[in-house]
Amino acid sequence: MNTQRTESRAEYDDAAPAVTVREVIRTFPSGDGGRVRAVDSVNLSFAKGEVTAILGPNGAGKTTLIDMILGLNHPESGSIEVLGTTPKKAAQAGKVGALLQTGGLLLDLTVKETVQIIAALHKNHLPVDEVMATAGLHSIASRTVGKCSGGQQQRLRFALALLPQPELIILDEPTAGMDVAARHEFWDRMRDTAATGTTILFATHYLEEAEQFARRTVLMHSGTVIADGPTDEVRQQAGAAHVTVTWAASPSDIQRLPHVLHHEVRGSTITFRTDHADELARHLLTQTEAHGITVRPASLEEAFMQLTAAQTDKEPTR
Amino acid sequence: MSLSTYILMDFWRNLRNFANSFFIIVLPAVLFLIFGVSTDWNEFPLPSGHGNVSAHTLVGIAVYGAATATTSLAGSAAVELQQGWGRQLALTAMPHSVFILAKSVIALGMAILPVLVINLVGLFTVTEMDTSRWFATAALTVVASLPFALYGLLAGLAFRSDAAVGAASGVLVILGFMGNNFFPLDGILLDIGRFTPMYGVTALARYPLNEGEIPTSGDGIIGTDPLWMILLNVAVWSAVFAVGCYLLRRRSTARR
Repeated sequence: MNTQRTESRAEYDDAAPAVTVREVIRTFPSGDGGRVRAVDSVNLSFAKGEVTAILGPNGAGKTTLIDMILGLNHPESGSIEVLGTTPKKAAQAGKVGALLQTGGLLLDLTVKETVQIIAALHKNHLPVDEVMATAGLHSIASRTVGKCSGGQQQRLRFALALLPQPELIILDEPTAGMDVAARHEFWDRMRDTAATGTTILFATHYLEEAEQFARRTVLMHSGTVIADGPTDEVRQQAGAAHVTVTWAASPSDIQRLPHVLHHEVRGSTITFRTDHADELARHLLTQTEAHGITVRPASLEEAFMQLTAAQTDKEPTR
Repeated sequence: MSLSTYILMDFWRNLRNFANSFFIIVLPAVLFLIFGVSTDWNEFPLPSGHGNVSAHTLVGIAVYGAATATTSLAGSAAVELQQGWGRQLALTAMPHSVFILAKSVIALGMAILPVLVINLVGLFTVTEMDTSRWFATAALTVVASLPFALYGLLAGLAFRSDAAVGAASGVLVILGFMGNNFFPLDGILLDIGRFTPMYGVTALARYPLNEGEIPTSGDGIIGTDPLWMILLNVAVWSAVFAVGCYLLRRRSTARR
């Protein structure tokens, strides 16, 4: 009786996080007989209704982490809780929908059959027609999967992810292989899904997708989380802003400036990369002859390169 | 959850696959018409007296068809799982054990088809067998195809591609030839054939018909296989395939 009560409380507790990852470690054998830590002591928590991007280069551990949240793989140590239960149970109960990176489709089924056959295996699911409409599949319903383009197959995977009406949707590089138009269309559909309060977690290496779509960004590198926070802050955390001025400065003038990470002189204009744009701008305008100032926030890509470079410098042995 | 929908849809997917149904149903039926129906000697009675030569050929070719079915279905199931469909299924309410059950039902269904078709062809043409023995051989033919599910699984696990599973099904023609399935062997080929994997299951399926007697292409017999020898062949090869599957499975999990 006791356990039943706590279980039902967890289910209706909106304040409880959708996903909690605690001290999770997962290693794989490396080529030389040792083991590589694909995911190394990761702690993360995702609130209900939150849209988060997991960014990182190939081999950062994104897919391994996602596989563990889906229950397709298990942590060696640490624990993962999904919607108040284990990852496996949450997935089997249809609380989690996932768009997996590659494969995962039978090439000789038609698009509609694929949706039907997976629908047959869920305890509760949305009507097949409804899901196909949401994913924009009606025009290709009778096409075999093998004849679909990469973008069409991703739309089909998206439909499969929506089928159980999940509370949490996980997308592993959802727009890989899509052209620009298809990518925009895909995110427009996702925006509609996010508007219904579904928790969304997606891995990507298209940085603009994180910038445009996720309020929160988790940056991963070599299995660890190197930055985590609102996407805007992650960008700033990397000290990423560019200040451009017109100024005939001598090298010693530039040496004396505060908060400069890097500079580039081009004719009479100088562009500084800075980790503190306000301080640098104030200094430039009040203490020097510089004028015609423009300040531009760095792209997430630059922030990312800087953070991963810092990480590599700190631990040169790895 | 509707498991029957899954089974029916997946069964239909395999059946409409032309390569699948051609090698599982059409080819064996045609082989039977050539070797078991159209030749003169098919109406000769067997030395055992329980049926005619056509019946002997019928069982051999039906075993070949059923084994092709289980080989290719088990193999493609292994490939499907490794190519990511298994990940998709893991996110549904269907447990892995139920997937294996569903695939077994589908493979068995596909194995029954050639047995049914060839036996019906025999029934309406020249094949003669005592009724009860006829049913017994048909049932044993389906049983005979089971070790080949492990054989197909082995190919699927080892090479992880549909092409490899197709090749494994193709190899069954050679195994069928050596297994005495298509036309009567004698001499050195028979001596070697006795140790090949399809020989045991075929002799087992024919047991109700000829009680281990091996007919020659003329009339008469060139020997009798004792039941224990037939069962030993089946047991040894089943064990070889099973151990192979186990080792490959362990290899693939050890990599993680």
